[in-house]
Amino acid sequence: MVVFGCVMIYSASYYTAEVQYGDSFYFVKKQVIGAVAGFAAMAAMCFVPYNKLEKFKYPAIIIAAILLLLVFVPGVGVTNYGATRWIGFGSFTIQPSEVAKYAYALFVAAYFSKNYKKVKTIKGVLPVLAVGALFCLLVILEPNMSITMCIGILMLALVFLSGASIKNFLVILVPCVIAIPVLIIAEPYRLQRLSAFLDPWSSPLDEGYQLIQSLYALGNGGLFGVGLFNSTQKYRFLPFAESDFILSVMGEELGFIGITLFFAACGFIIWRGFRIAKRCKNRFGYLLAAGFTLVYGIQVIINALVVSGTIPPTGLPLPLISSGNTSLVITMASMGVLYNISRGG
Amino acid sequence: MSAGLAIAFIFCVIFARFFYLQVVYGETLVMRACDQWNREIPVIAVRGTITDANGNVLAGNLNTYSVFVRPNAVTNTEYAAIVLAGIFDLDLDGLRSKLTKKGVSEITLARNASAEKIEQLITYDINGVYFARDNSRLYTYGDVLCQVLGFTSSDGNGISGIEKYYNSLLAGTDGEILYATDIIGIETENNAVIYSPATDGSNISLTIDIDIQLAAEQVMKEVYNSSNAKSVSCIVLDPQNFEVLAMVNYPSYDLNDVPRDDSETLNSLSRNAVVCDIYEPGSTFKVITAAANIEEYLNGNSNAFSTSYIFSSSRTRTVDGTTIKCWSDHSNGKHSNQTLADALNNSCNPCFTDIALSLGSETFYKYLTAFGFGNVTGLDFSGEAVGMLLNETAVRDCDLARIGFGQSVAVTQIQLACAVAAAVNGGNYYVPHLLKSITDASGNTTEIQSVFKGKVISEKASSILASMLEGVVTEGSGKKAYIQGYKVAGKTGTAQKFENGSLAAGKYVSSFVGFFPSDNPQYLALITVNEPQGVYYGSAVAAPAAKEIFEDIIAIKNIQPYE
Repeated sequence: MVVFGCVMIYSASYYTAEVQYGDSFYFVKKQVIGAVAGFAAMAAMCFVPYNKLEKFKYPAIIIAAILLLLVFVPGVGVTNYGATRWIGFGSFTIQPSEVAKYAYALFVAAYFSKNYKKVKTIKGVLPVLAVGALFCLLVILEPNMSITMCIGILMLALVFLSGASIKNFLVILVPCVIAIPVLIIAEPYRLQRLSAFLDPWSSPLDEGYQLIQSLYALGNGGLFGVGLFNSTQKYRFLPFAESDFILSVMGEELGFIGITLFFAACGFIIWRGFRIAKRCKNRFGYLLAAGFTLVYGIQVIINALVVSGTIPPTGLPLPLISSGNTSLVITMASMGVLYNISRGG
Repeated sequence: MSAGLAIAFIFCVIFARFFYLQVVYGETLVMRACDQWNREIPVIAVRGTITDANGNVLAGNLNTYSVFVRPNAVTNTEYAAIVLAGIFDLDLDGLRSKLTKKGVSEITLARNASAEKIEQLITYDINGVYFARDNSRLYTYGDVLCQVLGFTSSDGNGISGIEKYYNSLLAGTDGEILYATDIIGIETENNAVIYSPATDGSNISLTIDIDIQLAAEQVMKEVYNSSNAKSVSCIVLDPQNFEVLAMVNYPSYDLNDVPRDDSETLNSLSRNAVVCDIYEPGSTFKVITAAANIEEYLNGNSNAFSTSYIFSSSRTRTVDGTTIKCWSDHSNGKHSNQTLADALNNSCNPCFTDIALSLGSETFYKYLTAFGFGNVTGLDFSGEAVGMLLNETAVRDCDLARIGFGQSVAVTQIQLACAVAAAVNGGNYYVPHLLKSITDASGNTTEIQSVFKGKVISEKASSILASMLEGVVTEGSGKKAYIQGYKVAGKTGTAQKFENGSLAAGKYVSSFVGFFPSDNPQYLALITVNEPQGVYYGSAVAAPAAKEIFEDIIAIKNIQPYE
């Protein structure tokens, strides 16, 4: 999957990379470094008994919170495309919100496994909600709407899976649903994107541009695709072809058949993840496996929906495929954890 | 496992969506996307030429090119700037800044560049520089026939006159060369070049005879200068088939130097008054009234007057309480004991009032309609005016009385010329036309035949009328058009102009419609002088011009005297 990701990134980005950086392998080189680090992390996680991770629930969220806060420290936070989502050390940048998702899943799993009875009461769920809300707040301030939503959905799903009563679940769900329109209205650019989503052709050069380009790519792919490396849209028509919109290029080059096979692979990973969770006798393992699987699944689904213009555009990478090292390393690490859980620790 | 089901469901939605986008909707999307994937270089179709009836080129093309640059595709800007500035005499600094300016997809470097310069350009082989043939029109005769020919826009589309009317024939279909490019226009390496050739426009030839046109232009220019008129016009028609042989409006403008910046001047100078402007014709219209009377008389209508009938010598007629006067004071035996022929010679208004009233509106209007009044002639030219003819149901006797001698009616010159031609050619009305033939890009020629519209009067009535009109020239008001031996016939006209609904003092339209030979008309000319200063009678201002034009035609065509 990761190798396939590298190939796709090369295909999607070599032209842009050559024009912009004079090196057609620019994005690929970065990704290969990430992949190597990712494999190392994955291998390590395979051998670290997952139960030990439980101890890291507080350090994990504290580190994640600190990283998220660092984004706002001038000189450390890196601003790209109008959002401060990265922290940088020289040329090396990481995206703390990617870390936060997994840290949060870890925290919730650990908390509920220890306090599984508390889940029945609102009061008992409060710490989970508090941390979730804090992360959401920090991420939304970057701003990064999509990962905020990702964490929000993750939070709801984990509370549900932990066995909260329907009544309590609804009590939590309602304010979250209300928060979405509020957040959208709070930032005008989100409203523009939303209207662009509803009718991208009305503003083909502005808000609707990216979506239209994505649709062109998919349409051009047809049933069988135009063949690997033959994408037309990657000639700088499609922005973020190597990251958030890599699925468009895949759709163009590999066609509907290729996309179907890819989703089947994604579906398999998710299915495996849930099976690992279900089989796990340990409550922590169950929640951790489910949580990590959810993080992966939610991202794949949101990305697919965005690229196909089914939901409004947000910048969310396609895990394991998109260019972006933070996401790659941590996702691979989580796969290692899943493997470890499947082995029973 | 409800979460698993939910995820499975969401995946189904995603599959459906991708299937729809990629397989069902895909082709539509590709069609839309093609536009941005390719940049095209036009392959300009050669615009057809316009020639006169004898193949003399009136509007042709300069063999020139436009040169474009796509700055993003230029590899060595400095080199390109120096070379291009050298070839096309451009300011080097200005060009350099143009080539380095961001966000510009394409700039037009030069228009009307000669073929030699393009050959030079090719030897340098600079990336990002393209050229395409352009259609710069060259009008052989400058201002001659300018309102009829019209001109094209800078991108080669006809926007007035024949250039506009037959634009679809002349223009042809542009082809294009498509290059696949990236977003800013740099050619991509899997560069599928598609070449679709241009289809050149058709050449057309007009019914115009440039020799007659040039002669008429010259004569009308002199009339314009000597009469200090506001404007002058002339149409020469072949009365046997209504082909337009010459059409002059003066003042004019140079088609090779169109005053595009001054739209008001351009509008007035480029207006084809012969076709697009209406005027009250006055006495020339009496030809039609006479034609109606003769035909009705021959058909046995007792309300029509015989050719030997003597009209009342009174100067006035009272109709509906209004008094209609002759332009002459009828003193000292002038305009007395007149037959129809005398009435035409003298251009005596009351006689034609008598005819119109006696025939009555129903009969008279039948002829007016048949002679094409109240409708366009159908000439192949944009913007033909209809004229003004009171509705038959609304016309009062006092109106009818005036229409009889050419007042209370407004016509175009083309309408009047055609009506007179039909009245004297044996009674045949055709659709007048300017287009003689079309030769398409593959060399197939289509000749345009005159369209017969209808019989307006009988051969006999026509021949009687024609000989009466010959009398007008030999012994009547048209004497100044007389040419020994050529049977010139015609009728003068002097109409006072109406402005804002009332007579404008001292403003006249002087005209003369003439043809020869009277017994088998080959050439018919209508001369119109708008607001001459000083002498204003049609007999004095317009008739001599017709004579000169006819003399020129006789010389050009080497026509021997008929008698």
